[in-house]
Amino acid sequence: MSAVLRHRTSLLVLVGMAGFWQILSMIFRAEALPGEPMVPGWQVLVTKTFLSLSDYWQGGLGVESVASGGRPSYLASFLAVISNSLDTVIRLYTGLFLGAVIGTLLGLAVSWSGWTRRIVELPAQFLRTMPLLAMVPLFQLWFGTYFIGKVAFVAYGVSVIFFAGVVNAVKNVPQIYIDNARTLGATKFQLYRTVILPSIFPELRSTILLSLGTAWAAELGAEYLGAQSGLGYIIVYSEQFAYLDRMFFVALLFTLYASISYAIFNNLSLRLLRWAPRAGRDVLVELKGIGNALS
Amino acid sequence: MLFEPVEKSMIVLNGVSRIFRRADGQLVRAVADITLEIPQGQFVCLVGPSGCGKSTLLQMIAGLILPSNGSIRVADSLVTEPSPERGVVFQKDSVFPWMRVIDNVEYGLKCRGIAKGERRTIARDYLRLVGLSHVEHAWPRELSGGMLKRVAVATVFANGASVLLLDEPFGALDYVTKRQLHDVLLKLWAQSDSENRRTVLFVTHDVDEALTLADRILVLHSGQLVDDLDISVPRPRTADSLLLAEMMNRKHVLLAHLGLEGATALAAQMEVGS
Repeated sequence: MSAVLRHRTSLLVLVGMAGFWQILSMIFRAEALPGEPMVPGWQVLVTKTFLSLSDYWQGGLGVESVASGGRPSYLASFLAVISNSLDTVIRLYTGLFLGAVIGTLLGLAVSWSGWTRRIVELPAQFLRTMPLLAMVPLFQLWFGTYFIGKVAFVAYGVSVIFFAGVVNAVKNVPQIYIDNARTLGATKFQLYRTVILPSIFPELRSTILLSLGTAWAAELGAEYLGAQSGLGYIIVYSEQFAYLDRMFFVALLFTLYASISYAIFNNLSLRLLRWAPRAGRDVLVELKGIGNALS
Repeated sequence: MLFEPVEKSMIVLNGVSRIFRRADGQLVRAVADITLEIPQGQFVCLVGPSGCGKSTLLQMIAGLILPSNGSIRVADSLVTEPSPERGVVFQKDSVFPWMRVIDNVEYGLKCRGIAKGERRTIARDYLRLVGLSHVEHAWPRELSGGMLKRVAVATVFANGASVLLLDEPFGALDYVTKRQLHDVLLKLWAQSDSENRRTVLFVTHDVDEALTLADRILVLHSGQLVDDLDISVPRPRTADSLLLAEMMNRKHVLLAHLGLEGATALAAQMEVGS
């Protein structure tokens, strides 16, 4: 299949899904509360729903918040979407980055030496067995419900996944590359930087994709259980008033942001994996096509 | 005949053994009490049947595994770990697939902090000598098996090792490619004058390969050194050289050691060898 055809097919499927949703909204006309449809059609989502998101604009930039007497406007809604999305996305990526770095370092420590393995392995295995979402209340009490609390929680969830992924990937590094580097005069640090890290990367790709999903789940889980802003906060607030359309609108935003993340990640890893045999990279191109169609 | 200290000894093995514990718990002696001296600049081939301990012996000299007993000295210092002084060309492909060809050749120099301009010049020189100037910026996945071996050979030579250890490096290549690589290897080896010539230990199970390359052929059998043959036929050696009386004689001896010319012949030659 050519790239153009592939692209068109993905687009067609997307339009089909949107159409299906519209048909559903016309068949199932039940309402949770008067004026709040269970299956909101697109005509509702882009007008009433979007406009109602003004509620979450906290004021500023010359646009008054609804709470302090401002009128709902598309501008206020737009600002609300942008600011709450930014809150969520910034916390998420800060946590993801920290978690990835910490998890990778701990994972590498397992193979670095007998001492580092003994120090790291048991505590890390211990942390791994804790159910992630059950830890949310604990993290809130420890780190608060603001920025640090959420970042720490996402970082925790991601680092656990990275740790497991890195430990496993390091075990699969072909001995021949390690022997080659050592006989050419590489120090241990050089060995890790120039041989271990690049050779675990292809295997780590699935870990990274997995951790992207976990990071979203962890961030939203943390926001559900106590936040003053962010997309998860909008969902919880909406649930209390049975605003199903707002919840669905935010869910669509998640899809959009997740697709953009995947597309960026695939582009980056394609660049980083220019050296890899083509068989491994075709899968990436396929994923990228989906990401492009969605975003 | 085992001891022939012609000049300065480069590699000295003293009572070297290596014992492995197999998965079923049984102890296996891969290398048994080997004592050996190899003078600087000599091209030595180590021949023996599959599983005789050739690779184990080579890996011990490389410092990748340590002997269970005995000592190994290279250039008067005890071998305890790998060193860029002892370059290794492996049987399997060892070229890093995530680095371009030229970066692979520069790798060892970079690890040891040689400045970028200088190491690039050295790497380019060796890529030219192995005939790979045209692919210096290619990725290893774009090269054939023979070209990857050329990269591996260029890498160890560029790294300036004084001892080269080659573990059946060309075993997986076709005949023509193998012959071309023999020429490349001998050219690189012979380009330095005799005081600076690198000492080569080349492990192979191919009798013709050993006869084509070596100054001296060591025969290993069940972990023990069973023969030590000098090959004085001058280089360059062609297909015709292998038909000389001396070569034919040596070839029969080697084939007997490998069990290809009957038990009687083997027994007779083992007596001669020891």
